[in-house]
Amino acid sequence: MPPRRAQDHNYMAVDSDSDDSFIVEDGDGDFGADRTRGAKSKGKGKAVQKGKDKGKGKGKEQPYSWEASYTRSWDAVQEDEGGSLQTAVEDLLARGRRRRLLGPSTAIRRTIIRHLILILDLSASMLDKDMRPSRFDLTLEYARAFITEWFDQNPLGQIGIVGMRAGLGERVCDMSGNPQDVLKHISDRVKLEPNGEPSLQNAIEMARGSMSHLPSHSSREVLVIFGSLTSCDPGNIHDTLDACVKDRIRVSFVSLAAEMKICRDFCVKTGGTFGVALNEGHFKDLLFEGIPPPVQTGAAATAKTGPGNPAADLMQMGFPTRLPDTAPPALCVCHSELKTEGFLCPRCGAKLCDVPTDCDICGLMIVSSSHLARSYHHLFPVKPYEVFMDKSSLTITSPSVCHACALPFRESQQSKTPATAPAEGLSPLGRYRCPDCGNDFCADCDVFVHEVMHVCPSCHDPKPIPQPS
Amino acid sequence: MSHLSLLLDLQPAAWHDPTQSLQFSTFLAHILVFLNAHLAQKHENSLAIFGAFPGKSIMLYSSIDQTKPADRRVQPDPNWYQPFKTLDAALTERIREEMPQPSNSSEAEEPLPVPVALVGALAKALCCKSSTYCNFNRIIQATKVEAPSDTPLVMPESRILIVSVSPDAAASYIPLMNSIFSAQKLKVVIDVCKIYGPDTTFLQQAAYLTGGSYIRMCFLQPPSVRSLLAVPTTDRVDFRAACFCHKDIIDAGYVCSVCLSIFCQPVPVCSTCRYAHLSTRLMRPI
Repeated sequence: MPPRRAQDHNYMAVDSDSDDSFIVEDGDGDFGADRTRGAKSKGKGKAVQKGKDKGKGKGKEQPYSWEASYTRSWDAVQEDEGGSLQTAVEDLLARGRRRRLLGPSTAIRRTIIRHLILILDLSASMLDKDMRPSRFDLTLEYARAFITEWFDQNPLGQIGIVGMRAGLGERVCDMSGNPQDVLKHISDRVKLEPNGEPSLQNAIEMARGSMSHLPSHSSREVLVIFGSLTSCDPGNIHDTLDACVKDRIRVSFVSLAAEMKICRDFCVKTGGTFGVALNEGHFKDLLFEGIPPPVQTGAAATAKTGPGNPAADLMQMGFPTRLPDTAPPALCVCHSELKTEGFLCPRCGAKLCDVPTDCDICGLMIVSSSHLARSYHHLFPVKPYEVFMDKSSLTITSPSVCHACALPFRESQQSKTPATAPAEGLSPLGRYRCPDCGNDFCADCDVFVHEVMHVCPSCHDPKPIPQPS
Repeated sequence: MSHLSLLLDLQPAAWHDPTQSLQFSTFLAHILVFLNAHLAQKHENSLAIFGAFPGKSIMLYSSIDQTKPADRRVQPDPNWYQPFKTLDAALTERIREEMPQPSNSSEAEEPLPVPVALVGALAKALCCKSSTYCNFNRIIQATKVEAPSDTPLVMPESRILIVSVSPDAAASYIPLMNSIFSAQKLKVVIDVCKIYGPDTTFLQQAAYLTGGSYIRMCFLQPPSVRSLLAVPTTDRVDFRAACFCHKDIIDAGYVCSVCLSIFCQPVPVCSTCRYAHLSTRLMRPI
């Protein structure tokens, strides 16, 4: 009998240790019994209890994000007293307006020809589930969105991808100017399965090596999405940092875990940006901040008057002839496939599938004029519209409809109740006035003009052409 | 359900040209037949007409516009479908009001030629589209809250038809291209109908980039129907650019890395942004 009872006890003890989630409520009694038993089981029981107490204490105040329930983005939006979402929407609009007003309104110099190496952390720490569904899946999803949007805004740029996995830097995708090419390489998540430790030094050295041949007028940028808190390096990473500064490589970090001194140092010394993602939405914001072309500052801007400005250069570019569908089929130089439509390089006559690209035969940069035009709005932005506040200055002759869409202005609900001041940057009358042409536009058109169209509808009305006499 | 924005190029100088055969009155009659046919296709079809006049752009007619002054109401006619009559009367009257009269004064005082504000008209058409889109979303949200229904509301298809008679204005290149890219984002098809005058490269590109047709006439069908029909396609689009120095169309050239100005030969200093260039002598000739 006694040995049998001992077995029973052991059985109980094993049960309670292995599955501690079931003993949360009535666990205290069990642990009391455990303590009277052998030294080994006592230690285990204590450890479990300690861990549980800590978890409980945290749970009451602020849970770890992996313990919290899934928060939906629509839960974060607050309804007002009337149950309407109007205030929340207006708040979002106002935030967008304020951000735009901070932006420069005059023509400024930006880097148009960009080269970016995206470094993805593929270490085991990316399997953490503090961001849903997991850091790794979310990173891949956002990376795809990032690449699409990046190429839309920087049609003359090129992106390469390097992965950090098992202590090595791994080339996922070579530098390419074609979004489909780049997206294809990160479409298969099985090939990128996270594993091992990351190595910052190896990855950044690899990125640096693949950008060493670039001409001085193009930017060299590295964007690291970093999920771990360690780096497993073969040498002194500070040497890599110095080399990046020397090569004018701009390193930016988006950290998913916490701030690391070496990451911050990289960003500060090379002029990049550093951010720690708080949640999924913030992660996306941080990542997408890198999309508009960076303003050229510092050495490049001050060297404006001097002849030795290394950043201004003439680039040779070719404008191709487009072959129609009815052209006789021929082999393309990029995939060696028989195709009818395509583009002809003006210098060597080679047939290319897609532009923009570098000709595989003669190396000439092939662009169509619309690619150049797509970049112009970064160089010549539309001035932000002024918020029209003063109701008394409206006269009977001032138009009652938006100059662009000819719909009547919608006065905000808040202006009718003077107790609540309207959000800063929002017009209570729903009018926004262009400082150049003096016409009034509605809120929808204001957003559309500045974020999508980049053309003021009335500032470009042509003036009489003075005739040469 | 489809929405048509019609952009009329109303350059009096071009329309008063005696050398060409199409009279403006005949042209207007054809346009009205076309618009009536568009309205007749489906009851929900909507319409907005913009006029590009020299130096200004004006919305001439909109079927969604509720703020029409009451004096524009036309007397009903038993022999005429009322929407046709409203449209025809409003359009002709507005054009007559806005069209600048040719001056009868002597040749010396002839006013300077002003290009038409095509970009302004295009930008307004796109703003209209985006505003209707925003309002549409609001309506959807409102109806979802009040009475959720099974049949989803469908956003009307939208297209823009530009009827052009005047040549390209070089100064409007950048804003025009920006408008075209935003039309691409809004999935608005731009069709171009060139009645006479030289081909315009800019509008050719507009039609190509947004998937429309450039032709000197089948604009009646909405884009979704076109895939079923054999419509003429644009196969020759000029993607070459003009250099900023001589305005020549070039195959290959030099582009300033700062401001993307195009030059046909290496220049030491960019004429647009005044940056001095390095290493121009080292370049191989193209």
